[in-house]
Amino acid sequence: MMYGFGDDPDPIPETVMLMEDILIDYITDMIHKSQDVASRRGKLSTEDIMFLVRKDARKFARVKELLAMNEELKRARKAFEIDEEKFVNEE
Amino acid sequence: MAGEKRKAEAMDDPNLEASLDSAADSDTHDIDEATAASTPVAPIPAAVAGGKATKKFGKLAKKKKSSVRLTSPTASDEDEEGGRIAIEQEGKAGNSGARDDEEEEDHSEVELARQQTIDPDRMQAILASFTSEQMSRYECYRRSGFQRANMRRLLQSVAGCPISIPMTIVMSGIAKMFVGELVELGRIVMTERKESGPIRPRHVREAYRRLKLEGKVPSRSRQPLFH
Repeated sequence: MMYGFGDDPDPIPETVMLMEDILIDYITDMIHKSQDVASRRGKLSTEDIMFLVRKDARKFARVKELLAMNEELKRARKAFEIDEEKFVNEE
Repeated sequence: MAGEKRKAEAMDDPNLEASLDSAADSDTHDIDEATAASTPVAPIPAAVAGGKATKKFGKLAKKKKSSVRLTSPTASDEDEEGGRIAIEQEGKAGNSGARDDEEEEDHSEVELARQQTIDPDRMQAILASFTSEQMSRYECYRRSGFQRANMRRLLQSVAGCPISIPMTIVMSGIAKMFVGELVELGRIVMTERKESGPIRPRHVREAYRRLKLEGKVPSRSRQPLFH
């Protein structure tokens, strides 16, 4: 992944480990913050994450894009299953 | 992270995947270390320019984001691309400013999010002009991702409550973008210090420090106990 973003094809192991540590901290802080934001319901939802990244245009757009893609894939899979059922029943 | 967590993203644009596969097959994957070190990846100025312009036009942010992403993989005609994209953004900003005030409802936002400013023909042209090293790097960029199971485990252990699948997808996406920001900023730090080669931990630390100053890293701020 780091190569894809601009690092050497062989990143230094210490850099990779540091990156991993930073990432875990980042994700942990994000979750804690979103738990503070998420109101009475105990569960976390994607809305909380979206609220957190609303300032960062790139991330916000990416989140929207991913969720839209997910919906599309779900619909496509559902349609595929319905088609298969029809096909099986016709035989 | 470089090798282990690489995984085909399910969210790829199918057209792009097809063209990528055909292009990747024909290329040999010999990566030249020297060129890897010398290709400057500096998309942050373009991204920052896009970010500043989008502060006022929230809805526009989505369109700008997808056009800004174009600048990161390419290195050869970078300035040209950056210039063209900047002009494109200003044009959009002028048009949609008035409309933005009226459309505050979210039902139109889903529509806007789906609009791609990436012209597929233009994308094909850009991809065709990649060197083999650029192509392998771009392929790595597109295909890498986090394992859903690992992410889910981490999120559940942090949150303590069950995590839905869309949540793992979203967090993986955000985490990948954060990695991207750190690596890109690390490269900028390296060029400032006139060093070359693989990114060292001190560059990453400096990049992290700068991101913190910008406020892009969530830090749990504690109230000072004594004022």
